[in-house]
Amino acid sequence: VREEHDELIGRIVDELRVLPAVPADATARVLARVDAARRGGTPSASVSDDDDVIFFPAVTDEMATPGPLAHSAPGAANGGGPARGGLRRRFMVSLPAAIGYALAATLAGFLIRGALPRKADPITAAREARRDDTSASAGVAVRPVAAVVSREAQEAPVATQFVLDASRAKSVSLVGDFNAWDGAKTPLVRDSASGMWSAVVPVTPGRHVYAFLVDGKTWTLDPQAPKTKDSDYGTEQSVIIVGLR
Amino acid sequence: MRASRYAAVTLALIALPAATSRRAEAQGARPADLDSATAAAIAPIVQQARSASLPVELLYAKAREGEVQRAPVARIEAAVRALAARMQTASEALAPNPTVQELAAAADALKVGVPRETLREMRRRGRDGSLAVPIGVLTQLVVRGVPVEKASVQVVDLLQRGAVPKHFIALDERVREDVLAGKRPDESLDLRLKGIIPNLPQQATAEALSATPGNKRPR
Repeated sequence: VREEHDELIGRIVDELRVLPAVPADATARVLARVDAARRGGTPSASVSDDDDVIFFPAVTDEMATPGPLAHSAPGAANGGGPARGGLRRRFMVSLPAAIGYALAATLAGFLIRGALPRKADPITAAREARRDDTSASAGVAVRPVAAVVSREAQEAPVATQFVLDASRAKSVSLVGDFNAWDGAKTPLVRDSASGMWSAVVPVTPGRHVYAFLVDGKTWTLDPQAPKTKDSDYGTEQSVIIVGLR
Repeated sequence: MRASRYAAVTLALIALPAATSRRAEAQGARPADLDSATAAAIAPIVQQARSASLPVELLYAKAREGEVQRAPVARIEAAVRALAARMQTASEALAPNPTVQELAAAADALKVGVPRETLREMRRRGRDGSLAVPIGVLTQLVVRGVPVEKASVQVVDLLQRGAVPKHFIALDERVREDVLAGKRPDESLDLRLKGIIPNLPQQATAEALSATPGNKRPR
């Protein structure tokens, strides 16, 4: 009955040989059933005996070339029953697919729990830190912002407006330690309605000194800002402390 | 084929100056608008600072500041040399990894008389936060007339209590208003601290804990 090149039957025979407590004629009966099914031209969907000793699940192409996980269980031959064999067959998957499912399930678990680290940009981090700090003011115990936001994020430039009322000026520029004292970098623009000169400049948080250069040569202090005398060059400068309020 | 080669060469020629300029900027190269005599005078100082891993752009800015104010080269050189020395002191006080803004602020603070021990203590109490604003406010308090010892103690205490830049900025603004109104700077500092300290994170934490049943303070 056994065919020389029938791999599936060979596997079944090998399995049944190593199983304990199998009736002596079980192997012969299985082979007879399979042979009968093949001769009839239709694979038997589920061939089982009345004595429930032998169960052989459907012969399909999938079973003809089983994957690494598609191994036979001992119960299939010694009383597992049709339902158990069918269940096992339905859950047969290849190894790559199983790994894929496991990874997907793990990723889904992380996403559901919110455990995956999220990389926040400095602006978002600063906003969240400010929110924390606000709640701190309301009496909620939180860690100080310094422990949450990186030093570089805290030193992100802040848009700062500089204004000078100089209606007779032909040009006004801003010089300060935030623009390397280069007036060409920061010219002020005259507002036609008010006649005032202004510029909005990104300035890093901290204390800065500056002045206006009117018409390219006249050193002019900001009347709205405190002033200080620079001991290096002996001139007066305006002072601004920049930071998020 | 030949056309694509020409296109590649043209693109490279366009991109090269921009890349070179950006690299020079990152390395603190001499600004093109700095006078050659000034540049030559400060070159050894810049070289020394660079070998000590100090940000040389601050030195160039100080030189440029002198040129804008039409200071003589000798005075510019002296100012740049003094700044380099302060930056070295500041770098040691704010170790291990101060930012450029912190170094600039600390160099200004040293200039008005803030001791290096205060800077060291600020780094210790300020944890990982930027000290650019706290040091700047400390400098401004001293410039306004608050004794440096008093200002140092109070600023370090604020850092210890978890104060962040907005608290320091608020303190500076209120002291400034008081001084403009004729109040003494040191008295204003004492007064305004009473309004800021209750809003600090660690103060809020302590008050929240003391208000919790079972954590009542012993009388």
